[in-house]
Amino acid sequence: MPVAANSKVIWGSNMFSYPIQLIMGQLLIGVINGAFYAVLSLGLAVIFGLLRVINFAHGAQYMLGAVTAWLLLRYLGIGYWPALVLAPAIVGLLAFVIERLLLRRIYNLDHLYGLLLTFGLALIIEGSMRHWLGAAGKPYAPPALLTGVWNFGIVIVPIYRAFIVSAALVVCLAVWLLIEKTKIGSYLRAATENASLVETFGVNVPILLSATYVLGAMLAAFAGVLAAPIYQVSPLMGSHLIIIVFAVVVAGGMGSIMGAVVTGFALGILEGLTKVFYPQASTVVIFLVMALVLLFRPAGLFGRDVAASTAAPALATAGKLSRKALVPIAVIAALFLLAAPFFIYPTFATRLLCFALFACAFNLLIGYVGLLSFGHAAFFGGSAYITAHALKIWGFPPEVAILAGVVLASAIGFIFGILAIRRQGIYFAMITLALGQMVYFCFLQAPFAGGEDGIQAVPRGMLFGMIDLYHPFALYYSVLAIVGLALAATWRILNSPFGSILGAVRDNELRAVSLGYHVHRYKLGAFVISAALAGLAGSLKVITVQIASLTDVTWQMSGEVVLMTLLGGMGTFFGPAVGAAVITVIEHYLAGFTVPAPVVTGGLFVICVLVFRRGIVGEIIMLLRIRGGSKTQAKDAATSPVHV
Amino acid sequence: MSSQSEAPVLRATKLVREFYGFRAVNNLDIEIMEGHIHALIGPNGAGKTTVFNLLTKTIPPTSGNIFLRGRDITRMPAADVARQGLVRSFQISAIFPSLTVLENVVVALQRPAGLATQLWRSRRALNPLYGRAEELIDSVGLSAWATRQAGELPYGRKRALEIATTLALSPDVLLLDEPMAGMGREDIDDMVELIRKVAKGKTVVMVEHNLGVVSRLCDRVTVLARGETLAEGTYADVSADPRVREAYMGNGHA
Repeated sequence: MPVAANSKVIWGSNMFSYPIQLIMGQLLIGVINGAFYAVLSLGLAVIFGLLRVINFAHGAQYMLGAVTAWLLLRYLGIGYWPALVLAPAIVGLLAFVIERLLLRRIYNLDHLYGLLLTFGLALIIEGSMRHWLGAAGKPYAPPALLTGVWNFGIVIVPIYRAFIVSAALVVCLAVWLLIEKTKIGSYLRAATENASLVETFGVNVPILLSATYVLGAMLAAFAGVLAAPIYQVSPLMGSHLIIIVFAVVVAGGMGSIMGAVVTGFALGILEGLTKVFYPQASTVVIFLVMALVLLFRPAGLFGRDVAASTAAPALATAGKLSRKALVPIAVIAALFLLAAPFFIYPTFATRLLCFALFACAFNLLIGYVGLLSFGHAAFFGGSAYITAHALKIWGFPPEVAILAGVVLASAIGFIFGILAIRRQGIYFAMITLALGQMVYFCFLQAPFAGGEDGIQAVPRGMLFGMIDLYHPFALYYSVLAIVGLALAATWRILNSPFGSILGAVRDNELRAVSLGYHVHRYKLGAFVISAALAGLAGSLKVITVQIASLTDVTWQMSGEVVLMTLLGGMGTFFGPAVGAAVITVIEHYLAGFTVPAPVVTGGLFVICVLVFRRGIVGEIIMLLRIRGGSKTQAKDAATSPVHV
Repeated sequence: MSSQSEAPVLRATKLVREFYGFRAVNNLDIEIMEGHIHALIGPNGAGKTTVFNLLTKTIPPTSGNIFLRGRDITRMPAADVARQGLVRSFQISAIFPSLTVLENVVVALQRPAGLATQLWRSRRALNPLYGRAEELIDSVGLSAWATRQAGELPYGRKRALEIATTLALSPDVLLLDEPMAGMGREDIDDMVELIRKVAKGKTVVMVEHNLGVVSRLCDRVTVLARGETLAEGTYADVSADPRVREAYMGNGHA
């Protein structure tokens, strides 16, 4: 980046010594980025307003807009101007199918399932496009009419970029007019308040829902076509953007259309200016603003007051089995784990253990506190980096290196917790996702982390000075012992006086407050414990595979652990471990397969959310309960209002 | 009615709460006397539940002050207000649905017993609380349901369970938000008896629509309309007040 190099030279001098051209140039880039943030967060806000779905596939739909424009030109010779209409229409059609076939089925479930479903869709869309088109960017020329520049002396404005900003403003205004000033818009606003009431007035709410989702997706695709000539057309262009847009939405608040637009532009400009004055921070400045807003105005800049919901989202119920059924299962599992390295490649078996612990750590939050964290990779990967550095550079013994990782993960967890814990449900998920992405950028830039290479050839060392971890069996049994102890500790915490209050907080937060409990402190405690355990898993993983890399801190890793838990059974104690094993094995065997891994992962997400919400262990528990003849128990689970 | 001293246990002055410009509570002054059963009544939209939420600090006031035994609690977090002995119930029955009836009450007992933050001890540490929990459940007539999941209880039983958990904190000021809402006639008679029983030696504030219940139970009645006090006094006083009759016209007496 020439700009960054430039400003490093002049770093340290006062503001007036920055060339005005540099400032104006970055300001322009900021306005353009802001235009994209504005249009995308507008689309998210419109969809969320009525459907209560956070559309994770928004980034993928933006990418599809750009890719469709490129495909139209390349294969049909259709140019920019028709594509500006055609591409959104095509993506809108796809969105219509998605809404009708998939989203529709989950409206009456917890809102978090909408996020998980669209997350899966995003993986499928991006994974298949990447497989088909390759990850490399493809150039797309701006229309002839808009080439050239306007030279204003202090700033040179390419005409196409001016067009982007004006097109974005026009679209935002049009959407605002549609929603605030037309009859359809008034139905929409009314349905946002009370859908069933509007339905009794004779408004066809299902069509309204479809139309809203299509509109939101078309906005994203329109932004994608606008972006095609200035950013390269790439299957990955949306996934980076969407998380930044989440941060914008959280900072701005979901309250209003104007809020989304104003925050989008403002944060884009702020980001551009940061590139001038402190380029190292430019990738994280939006996340920092989000964090500050959360501290001082939790509802967001334009958001309404945070209304505490009466019942916390009961996403999962703890599946309980009688001791009689549990003991034989536990014995079989223990025997299997002890014998595993004799028939499974020991290092692979050790890796399974690490992910099992990671998933159990995550489940502590979702299953027992009802909080969906989408940022757990920060703890897992952050700890992995520190452990790797401590082992390789500082030459610490493994037990100390692990401890260092766990301490760091707990510290990051504490900061995340302070920022996120006051928000619930969907917001909590978005905030943790954005904070996780901030940690990702930190490790991407931190010199010690080795950039794209990561930290390789990490020595394993001698555990407690006497166990040589280079021996695969010694490694396996050491990790098994540590993971076993960690799970035993988790079990105890869940079944402690503290654990019983956690259960109460999950069931009904307001009631817990009215009984005198500071629920935030309990949630924060659980969050830090979960982060520490995830960190432990990350440390152990580094010792096992001897590499710490950016993969460990990406949002995809956070998504992976969500899927492991969902597949295994949220809120069941051992389900997440089973899910972790299944996913790791699937991915291992898929490595040489033609279907790209994200598509499989995404497909599993969609299937789990739509038809398999209890997960593997949850289903087994149901079966055993019914077979065990304890009829009341089986009936409880069937009639209880909570799902999974 | 029981003997009553004349010190206000709960007092609010110039209480205001606005929602996006709409003034739901407007300069309200209210005093709740020690030992009274005090009803808040008024037509729909009068601001009863808002006043209730303000008094328990479930929502913060826009302006004005709230005093509990002379101590300013205007800026105190809701959880701490509960620790001062002012405990509320909710209009929608507030229980922990996936816990058993006994566990619901035990959760309430844990904090006063100092058994809420230990994460290293076994749940068996809570065993000593079960005796008291059983007594409380018995006192609201739920013994037969003790080990059932609270979420499966019929409506009236959920309300009774809520009262039992509230009582577990041995509060001296009890705020009940429409304790009779959605109940059948027989359940109502049971609940009136239950409230009369638990109110001994305590102060009770209740929002109630059922004027029959108010006339049977309450020492003092505040009538709210449009966020302001319309009338205050005994049930006989306020029901004779022509302004009250006017405000209620069309809503019908119970």
